[in-house]
Amino acid sequence: MIPDLTPTQILTLTATVLTAVSLWLLLPRGGGRFARPIGVVLGLVALGLFVSRLSGLTNLGLGAEGLGAKIVFWVLAAITVVSAAGAVTMRSPVYCAIWFAMTLLGTAGLFLFQGAQFLGVATIVVYAGAILVTFLFVLMLAQSEGHAYYDRVSWEGLTSAAVGAVMIGVLTMVISDALAPTVPVDKADQAAAGEVVAKTAVVDPSTEEARAAEILSPQHMDHLGAQLFSKHLIAVEVAGTLLLVALVGAVAIAIQGKQMPKTAGGARHG
Amino acid sequence: MGELELLHGYLIIGALLFGIGLVGFLARRNMIVMFLAAEMMLQGISVSLVAWGRFHNDWGGQMLVIFILTVAACEAAIALALVLMLFHSSGRLDVAVWQHLRESNQLPFVDQELPEAEVEEPVWPELTPAGVEPEHSLDEVVHRGHV
Amino acid sequence: MFEGDKIHLLMALIPALPLLSTLIVATFGKFVLRERSHLPVIAAMAGSFVLSLLLLYEVHNRTVLADEAYAKTETTDAAATDDHHAGDPTKKAVEEVYTLWTWAAVDKEYARGTENVDGTAAPADVAGKEFNFIVDVSLRADPLTAIMLCVVTFVSTLVMIYAVGYMHGDPSYWRFFTYMSLFVFSMTMLVSVSNFVMLYVFWEAVGVSSYLLVGFWFEKPSAVAAGKKAFLVNRVGDFGFAIAIFLIWVTYGTLNFHDTAATDTAPAVAGILGQLRLADPTLYVGGAVGLAICLCLLTGACGKSAQFPLHVWLPDAMEGPTPVSALMHAATMVTAGVYMIARCTPLFMASPHAQHAVAAVGGFTALFAALIAITQTDLKRVLAYSTISQLGYMFLGLGAGTVAGISAGMFHLFTHAFFKALLFLAAGSVMHAMGGVIDMRKIGGLRHLMPKTCWTFWFGALALSGVFPFAGFWSKDAIIAAAGVRGEEGPAATLYTVLFWASLFTAFLTALYTFRALFLTFYGRERIAPEAGHHAHESPSVMTLPLAILAFCALGAGALFDWHSIFANFLGHTPSLAYSAVAATASHGEHSHLGLAVFSTFVALSGVGLAAYLYLGDQIAVTKLTTWLSSPFGLRLYQLSYGKFFVDAIYQLIIVWPLQLLASVLGWFDRRVIDGLVNLGGHLPVRLGALLRPLQMGLLPFYALVMMLGTLVLIGTLFMWRA
Repeated sequence: MIPDLTPTQILTLTATVLTAVSLWLLLPRGGGRFARPIGVVLGLVALGLFVSRLSGLTNLGLGAEGLGAKIVFWVLAAITVVSAAGAVTMRSPVYCAIWFAMTLLGTAGLFLFQGAQFLGVATIVVYAGAILVTFLFVLMLAQSEGHAYYDRVSWEGLTSAAVGAVMIGVLTMVISDALAPTVPVDKADQAAAGEVVAKTAVVDPSTEEARAAEILSPQHMDHLGAQLFSKHLIAVEVAGTLLLVALVGAVAIAIQGKQMPKTAGGARHG
Repeated sequence: MGELELLHGYLIIGALLFGIGLVGFLARRNMIVMFLAAEMMLQGISVSLVAWGRFHNDWGGQMLVIFILTVAACEAAIALALVLMLFHSSGRLDVAVWQHLRESNQLPFVDQELPEAEVEEPVWPELTPAGVEPEHSLDEVVHRGHV
Repeated sequence: MFEGDKIHLLMALIPALPLLSTLIVATFGKFVLRERSHLPVIAAMAGSFVLSLLLLYEVHNRTVLADEAYAKTETTDAAATDDHHAGDPTKKAVEEVYTLWTWAAVDKEYARGTENVDGTAAPADVAGKEFNFIVDVSLRADPLTAIMLCVVTFVSTLVMIYAVGYMHGDPSYWRFFTYMSLFVFSMTMLVSVSNFVMLYVFWEAVGVSSYLLVGFWFEKPSAVAAGKKAFLVNRVGDFGFAIAIFLIWVTYGTLNFHDTAATDTAPAVAGILGQLRLADPTLYVGGAVGLAICLCLLTGACGKSAQFPLHVWLPDAMEGPTPVSALMHAATMVTAGVYMIARCTPLFMASPHAQHAVAAVGGFTALFAALIAITQTDLKRVLAYSTISQLGYMFLGLGAGTVAGISAGMFHLFTHAFFKALLFLAAGSVMHAMGGVIDMRKIGGLRHLMPKTCWTFWFGALALSGVFPFAGFWSKDAIIAAAGVRGEEGPAATLYTVLFWASLFTAFLTALYTFRALFLTFYGRERIAPEAGHHAHESPSVMTLPLAILAFCALGAGALFDWHSIFANFLGHTPSLAYSAVAATASHGEHSHLGLAVFSTFVALSGVGLAAYLYLGDQIAVTKLTTWLSSPFGLRLYQLSYGKFFVDAIYQLIIVWPLQLLASVLGWFDRRVIDGLVNLGGHLPVRLGALLRPLQMGLLPFYALVMMLGTLVLIGTLFMWRA
């Protein structure tokens, strides 16, 4: 029942496997001085394979006017993914946080590329500016002496990497299968093989003009605000309440902690 | 580039972010880094949502990302407060310390062997040879109690 | 004017009073009445007795009328034949049936074929008809019932009065009287009902009462075992009785004794012992079917009346309190079998071989039980075997098949009730005084300590031995005479001759063991059992008064009721006995058998004399006897007799032990296999849980990993089977 693998699928699988191996090598493990460099190299190779998977790159000749956009997109994507890998695999938690900040920058860039101006800025301001700073504060408060042992080992590295890789692979295949442009040759083959993959080519549901009126209009913020406070008003109110509750809760938890006895190696309160 | 390719690319990136975040959540033992990886998973989802929103010319995608942002903020506040409390009671940020919910006849997980800490060579300041070398204690240089 | 209603009221009230007292004592006995629980019961018994006497009077009036009607038919037919009993015997029948309600009715239940079960032709009145299955709760009043009711209620009253003194201080005093009045209710209903199914119901009810009362002191394991044994052995007999009922239904299409009149929906059905059928004896089925019915009825009677081989329960039933033994196992319950056979006389008349079987069983059991009784050391056991032996006499009388024999059997039942109850109550008095010890080896010489008990026991013993003019003489003598007459001519004459001589020898043995018991208990050196304590004195008057009354009955009842054959004549008005086949046997044996009377008295007195020789005085002869018995042959004889001919051991071997083996095998199977399977069903989740438990490590990353794996499996499945 495993369908015959098309070349693109083989490519995807290879990329997935390489991602897994590279992540595993990059994760903090004891021993092996060459683990990290090899992991980096393999990761870049995997990334390259993923990129080649996408049709965008192969169709470089689709008009020079799209080239700039494509290059911007690829750079942003590369920043994001490499930073993500770094954020996950660093030995020091502070380094992880910094790499995560880099990831957020990349993501913000991607949002802006999509035309989601508010989100791009909000990501930087809220996520990188508030949440990440909170992370760093907590790291300061919860620092152990030197590099802690638990930062130097990973838990079930191979299984985790495998799971992640399988997840990526499955998602990629699903997405690609769902969004693949109509390839007449393949379609006939697959129909003959009995795999009823109900794929009508996914059609662009709206026109460019419509997009320009809504998502990509110059009055982006106005439209966003109008949508937010009309269609999603209740959700906004609830979100506000949620923030209040979280604030109160965090304070309550923290105050309770003040009365707990100090343990050996516990940090002093700031 | 065409809308479809754009969507395709964004979805792949979203999947990659999610997958990397997943690996980080499963593999790391530092509670804060685990939480960071969870945040990364949320970022991946946000990327996908925004891409879908643009594809379908629907504001819903961005709305959801705004709320994801809000919820992530609340979640961060509470989770970090809890992590701090756990740190205070055990002195470590290791998630493997907290095994109390296991079944009564299961043995606890114990680290078998830990890799040695990479002792960094202490970086001595280079001083010019003129003058008396000042006294310095080893502890002050090596000990990094507080960042 | 109110004749019909008055007799119906009597018939209904006689069993209703004991039932009422049962309910009262059962409800209020434990907390309200307590030590006064005997009051409602004795009132009910006495009331029933008075009503029974009234019923007897009513029936007697009707028999007088019936005699006149018979006399009319006699004179008209006397000219026709020269047999001076010519006349329509069915005119003598007196019966009154009172239907209370219908218990069960199924229309068109049974379509009778034209053939019997064994292929012979069906009786003319049932062949080819359709029958409704109807069970009525109906009571009847006829001489047989009236006599039985009087006996039962009279003895019950006296025994209840006695029990006030005997059971005094017992913690379950109220329970005793509840069960006793339940028993009396069941017994009165048993002799009053007019339907085989109802008879079976109350047959079982007296069995239940027996079980409850024998196992009354249920803390004693021997009493519990005895109760169970009584019930189970009775069950074997009841099984035969049930088969007989089935056969009767299939053959005759009805289960009523009486005729049912025609209604709108059903034609008239002749009862099995009803006038219509009795008028024409060809309507009775003989041959194999009739023999089968009668033998099955005999089995039921053997179970209830403790004949061989179902006699084993009666000696063990002596574990119950002595009033129970006196009432049930001497006077009333064990006579239910005799009553039933007497009632079913027409069926037995249609099948002479069954009558021979009845006589043979009775005669053999009489001899058998007497042989066992001469070596027993427990006074109550001696009396129990004596009861079995006397019941054998009654069966012998019924099995003779002549009107003389049947009347003699019933008369012996009548007198036996008095003197056997007397003997048991006297034994109870001794037991009460000796603190529960009734082993004759441990007690002796009590005649000075308990004079009243001693002379009442003398009266009872003389009556049992059949010495003139005590009651037993008249009845036992009549039975032996009937057997002898039957042995002179007619079918199976040799059988009856053998039985005649056997019964004479049994009479000798009866006298021997009775007086052996009397001399051992009341004469000789005075020995009081150590358990007696302060009880060792004469019983209170509440116990000795019934003894005295029964003693006078034992003295005079025989002579009184046999004078001019009052009893036999009265009994002859019962429909079962007032028809042609029975009447035809009446012509023989009218000659007086004075010679036989003298001979039997001589036999009895010689038994008394031998007992006196052996057991009175210094008992030198006993020592000689013991020496002789120590020889191998003598020892074997002694052991055979003392060990009850090892019947119990045989039953243990061939019935009880295989059943216990089977039960233990099945028990093992139940415990290991079936319970094992169930336990396995319980263990499986435990094992499964142990397998799954390592999933709960308590480690968060592990949980997340497993969660992700599950999600992956889901997505993968969805992906693969995306059709």
